Amino acid sequence: MTRAETIPTTPTRERPETPVSTPGRVGESTTRADGVPKVTGEFEYSSDLWMDGMLYGATLRSPHPHANIWSVDTSEAEAVPGIFAVLTHEDVPGRKVCGMEVPDQPVLAWERVRYQGEPIALVAADHPETARRALEKISVEYEVLDPITDAEEAMREDTPKLHLSGNLLRHIHVVHGDVDTAEADVVVEGEYEVGMQDQAFLGPESGLAVPDGRGGVDLYISTQWLHIDRDQVAESLGLEPDQVRLHLSGVGGAFGGREDLSMQIHSCLLALHTGRPVKMMYNREESFYGHVHRHPARMRYEHGATRDGKLVYIKARLVFDGGAYASSSNAVCLNAGTFACGPYDVPNALVDSYMLYTNNPPCGAMRGFGAVQVCFAHEAQMDKLAKALGMDPVELRIKNAIKPGDRFPFGQEVPPPAPVAELLERLKAMPMPEEEDITGRDLRRLPGGVSNVTHGEGVRRGVGYAVGYKNVGFSAGFDDYSTAKVTLSVEGGEPLVRVHTAAAEVGQGIVTLEAQIARTELGVNKIAVLPADTSIDSAGSTSASRQSYVTGAAVKAACEAVREKVFARVREEFGEDPDGLSIEDGNVVAEGHGIVVPLAELLDGEEIGELVKYRHKPTYPLDENGQGDAHVQFAFAAQRAIVEVDEELGLVRVVEVATTQDVGKAMNPQALEGQIEGGIAQGLGLALLEEIQVKEGRIQNASFTDYLLPTILDMPPVKMEILELADPDAPYGLKGVGEPPTIASTPAIVAALRDATGRELNRVPVKPEHIVGISGPTGQPPQPGSRGPAAERA
Amino acid sequence: MMPGYTRAELTAELKVLPSREGGKAPREQIEAARQAASESGLAHEAGPDATVLAGDRGEVLGAMMKVIEASLDAGAHAVEVKVEAEADAPRFGRG
Repeated sequence: MTRAETIPTTPTRERPETPVSTPGRVGESTTRADGVPKVTGEFEYSSDLWMDGMLYGATLRSPHPHANIWSVDTSEAEAVPGIFAVLTHEDVPGRKVCGMEVPDQPVLAWERVRYQGEPIALVAADHPETARRALEKISVEYEVLDPITDAEEAMREDTPKLHLSGNLLRHIHVVHGDVDTAEADVVVEGEYEVGMQDQAFLGPESGLAVPDGRGGVDLYISTQWLHIDRDQVAESLGLEPDQVRLHLSGVGGAFGGREDLSMQIHSCLLALHTGRPVKMMYNREESFYGHVHRHPARMRYEHGATRDGKLVYIKARLVFDGGAYASSSNAVCLNAGTFACGPYDVPNALVDSYMLYTNNPPCGAMRGFGAVQVCFAHEAQMDKLAKALGMDPVELRIKNAIKPGDRFPFGQEVPPPAPVAELLERLKAMPMPEEEDITGRDLRRLPGGVSNVTHGEGVRRGVGYAVGYKNVGFSAGFDDYSTAKVTLSVEGGEPLVRVHTAAAEVGQGIVTLEAQIARTELGVNKIAVLPADTSIDSAGSTSASRQSYVTGAAVKAACEAVREKVFARVREEFGEDPDGLSIEDGNVVAEGHGIVVPLAELLDGEEIGELVKYRHKPTYPLDENGQGDAHVQFAFAAQRAIVEVDEELGLVRVVEVATTQDVGKAMNPQALEGQIEGGIAQGLGLALLEEIQVKEGRIQNASFTDYLLPTILDMPPVKMEILELADPDAPYGLKGVGEPPTIASTPAIVAALRDATGRELNRVPVKPEHIVGISGPTGQPPQPGSRGPAAERA
Repeated sequence: MMPGYTRAELTAELKVLPSREGGKAPREQIEAARQAASESGLAHEAGPDATVLAGDRGEVLGAMMKVIEASLDAGAHAVEVKVEAEADAPRFGRG
């Protein structure tokens, strides 16, 4: 089904020159090399990719969430002038399924579609509009089936199976102590629900595949993990991995949504079929169908405590809607199961975490996955328990805070540092913002802002607290590593350090951090961080808050290996003891003797390069009772949110978020602040605005007009206090920092809303109608005026 | 590959080559194999006529025999089988 037009020469693509920078050292705020190009619009995002002679790829997607495919007729599309290829599953030469954990997702559907938007066919054309028109000419005969859209329904025995292995994708069962014999004075129960959030990265999926003329392909792509993409592409193309070369292109945000494949295989298929470069770029609507989302969850909890506020037991039943395909759902289910009880010392716990297949959009990785959902629930439970006990909610948390040496409910000993109580104490001590008079206030500082719908009538203030935590790095036995090559040379008479890794810079700042580490360890002012690609071994994924730790450690170790060689040469040539040597401003310096030799002179035109692979300490899978040393590092954050709520109109203004977070080491304080503020913005979005509306398996709001994101006007000032308690196992003692702010902010904001309104608000995002009580959060009757008495059962 | 993922000890891909002579219709031959694979609880579809079984060595080998038997009973004359042990299987994310 191809009208290939092979161009005679192998196309090549020039990449932007690698910038040489002089970054600050570790611990200093330093300007990122990509900062200025990004704000001036000169940065090349993957959507800007261009090659002469390139074609445009497009995807035919299922309009139905569940249907049998009886036939696909591409003949009319193939006849459209300007069309170079029309491909279906028959044209996939290798493995016809893909998936990062479970290869269960068709590259192109063959006889059944399981979600709205599932890819069925591809076209390549000389113009995007031609491609769009050709898609319309492809005729697909469907037999529409009833979609399974409820995870609880999917779990029932009599529900049809969506996959051969059934609808239950994973079940994590955690047994800690004995909840059946545990006796509590006070018991609180609650049911909580989290909606489907989108990563809403601003740069939609895009990539450019370039055939190499020898049967292989180069793919320029925005992604989070080059090697897992490379291996899946190679397998489906029927090629050896080294025939598929991936190059990281400019990534416009990720947040987990680029960890799984979108058009990687598709664009390469089209390029190899046509012999031409093929660019694919989703528009915003297609992007909503083209990547996985945060898992919606329903969670039922029961907490038991003594009268003086010590937790006795926690029971939790968690049900996650994984959507049509697995993506990273296994890991989400694990995280939810292990973090379900929060950072508290609880002697007895029973947790069941279920992950189900449905005909809803596939869900997968998103910032804080698994921990975000359960944190909303366990923190609401702690507030409910505090109310039932008549205790201050922060005091209750401090009283039960987990500490080093305790054991998590999944059996792992809590490693130091784990300053949960200290974070809460410091947070509580942070000064409250002054309350501003409503009368005469600038409208921008009222709920509803400049839409000018309130002048302060019925506005109430509320304060809420939450503490959250999550693992850093990959878990449960995964071989988690990163690779770095560091080369020291002399160029233009000055020492230069080149750093090469495959770590994906998705906006978080790993490129800057790699340069900071190189400058710190090698004492050289000029650093060049080479573009990430698959010509070097894997750096693992830019996810799980892991790159600073794992790739940071790899770069540090490679620098140390280079430094060792430099010092060995100095000893050989100058007889200096390496123990007293250091490198400063490009010179080898001996303690007490000053400069021994400039590096430029020592190297004498040679290079010193070292390649290092770094692994963190091993982790282990959980056993049948959900017990095991599953995680490598834990990061904690506590937050206090202050809100003002117009109770009559349901409008909310978040006045301030204060946070305390243990980061181990503030590697780049300015970037750290950015991560914390950005994380809070994403948590605020989940608390108040962001939800993909899905009805009968169909997305209702696939646009940024209807899917609401917080803007700068919605963001409150963020007050932060950073603790630097070193993790002895981590490079520089650092901890991953990207996810904890997102985890804690949603429950803190909703707790403040409860404090202001007295309503239970057991679902996020909280909508205006929930605040005013027009409709209950999950179809429950409204509770006007109720301050939500806790379900006490003494 | 990812946190929480337990890599299967053994993976078997089975591709039914339906016979057009005798037995059940080609589609039914494939369905018979799928049904047997489904009952094992280890299976994923891997193409219009292919199934993957992934799990412990013993259970995959046992399930594989049942899938082959079901295919032959339904009239298939050939089943292509590719078995990969974990140590030899290509793993994602590795260079």
